[in-house]
Amino acid sequence: MGLAIVGTAALGAVALWLAVAAGAPERGRAPSEGVLFGIWRVFYDTEMPAPRVLLAAVGVALLLAAAVAGLERRLLTRARRSEDGNRMPLAPRLVMAETRGHFAGPVTITVLIPAHNEESCIAETLASLLAQEPPPARIVVVADNCTDGTVRLAREAGVEVFETVANRHKKAGGLNQALRDLLPAQGDNDCVMIMDADTTLDPGFLAGATRRLTDDRALMAVGGLFYGEDGFGLIGQFQRNEYTRYQRDLRRRRGRVFVLTGTASVFRPRALRAVAEERGKLLPGVPGDVYDTVALTEDNELTIALKTLGALMVSPRECTVVTEVMPSWSGLWAQRLRWQRGALENLGAYGMRPQTFRYWMQQLGIGYGVIALAAYLLLILLMVLATSSWVWFPFWIGIGLVFTLERVVTVWRGGWRARLLALSLFPELGYAMFLNVVYLKGVWDLTLARQADWKHVVQPDTAARTGV
Amino acid sequence: MLGTVTSGLVPMGVLLPDSILRHEAIAVLAAFVAINTIVYVTLSVAKMLPKVYVSDWLSTRNRRAETRSIHPDAPI
Repeated sequence: MGLAIVGTAALGAVALWLAVAAGAPERGRAPSEGVLFGIWRVFYDTEMPAPRVLLAAVGVALLLAAAVAGLERRLLTRARRSEDGNRMPLAPRLVMAETRGHFAGPVTITVLIPAHNEESCIAETLASLLAQEPPPARIVVVADNCTDGTVRLAREAGVEVFETVANRHKKAGGLNQALRDLLPAQGDNDCVMIMDADTTLDPGFLAGATRRLTDDRALMAVGGLFYGEDGFGLIGQFQRNEYTRYQRDLRRRRGRVFVLTGTASVFRPRALRAVAEERGKLLPGVPGDVYDTVALTEDNELTIALKTLGALMVSPRECTVVTEVMPSWSGLWAQRLRWQRGALENLGAYGMRPQTFRYWMQQLGIGYGVIALAAYLLLILLMVLATSSWVWFPFWIGIGLVFTLERVVTVWRGGWRARLLALSLFPELGYAMFLNVVYLKGVWDLTLARQADWKHVVQPDTAARTGV
Repeated sequence: MLGTVTSGLVPMGVLLPDSILRHEAIAVLAAFVAINTIVYVTLSVAKMLPKVYVSDWLSTRNRRAETRSIHPDAPI
């Protein structure tokens, strides 16, 4: 499956390569020599692609982007108007019809926090929750095989604790047990928020989510927008830049959801019940379970599940959360490998459906990006190793400047550190290459069907985390 | 010293001869990278510019016929 994605991306690259070769490109020629300001002797090369090649490349790029966006929009509209309760039980039109004229009480939020030995951060998480205006109706810490002070700290903070019984399916299994206990008693507007123990909510998160869920009874889920915590030097900044860009993308999509983040997302009970109901039928997994215990990235899986059932979801700009960044390259490697493998496995489980189309395209895009970036770096390397004197290419320098500008503009909200890192361009290219290698490793592991493990990264309790 | 002599005799890069840059395979690689770069820079420019929401001007089918609020008597 992973191979199919990489294979398709490679096929695209080969096709382009052959097309280029067939056009018999001009062989390299010697650069011209000029004198700058009457002092420096510089070599330069005014070479640039032929206008029709330029135009074709620009056209292909715009067409691809428009096609993906257009198809996604079409699918969304179709889901909104669907009246097929067998295939899309959560389609807005059906939900509207079922809830018309009946007031099921105001929106309340019950928070479930899956926790496995989280004593270093649970107190801060609970404090951020209790400080919300309005506060949640209930807070339940789902303690799963905790051997540290998590349970004690939770009790001290005055919140409920649900201890899992004989759970062998980690986070997803613990949440399934807690939801099985909780869901039957929830009214239509008694929403459930699932949030990570290492995440803190920004002020206004619950108020924003409550308002959205009050204003739109067809809305089935509100996802948080996460950004990285301060600190951890360069590796922290790389991740913060990445999250800042992701947030910007979501704002430009007007909150249309990519993934309902596991860091903090709110669900209407109707949505979770429908998922549990359809497991083993329309959705993969065990009947009666909300979370698929096989999925490595359960938030991504639940998002696809809800999309499949036609649910309306949003990630509004007022619902932001601060999440941990990985403090080391090995931690980042483990985290991203899990995300990557999880995403691929989820796609494999769902196959090619209209609702997964965008995710497939995303994977294909990453696959092609690996080839494109590798070819680019190879060419640069060859140029550096084989050029006896430095040659300036005005056209390509101009292109480089446009890229740099894009890097800076898209992280502008991240502050001056973010802008400075973006301005230097090459470190971020290196970071992109690191993520590409993770991608390839994910595909490789999946192909060999290696057992991926859910690595728990223990965070040091530093001043940056606790704000002391 | 030796480097100056050899570079006087054969044109050399740091590690590879200059001439490989004039090889056809390298020309194809350069063109391949060039096209990819243009494709990516186009997408970058599209990402950088303010987004235009065409549907804001066109769509008339999304008008609400009833309230979507959880309060049945809320205004539309």
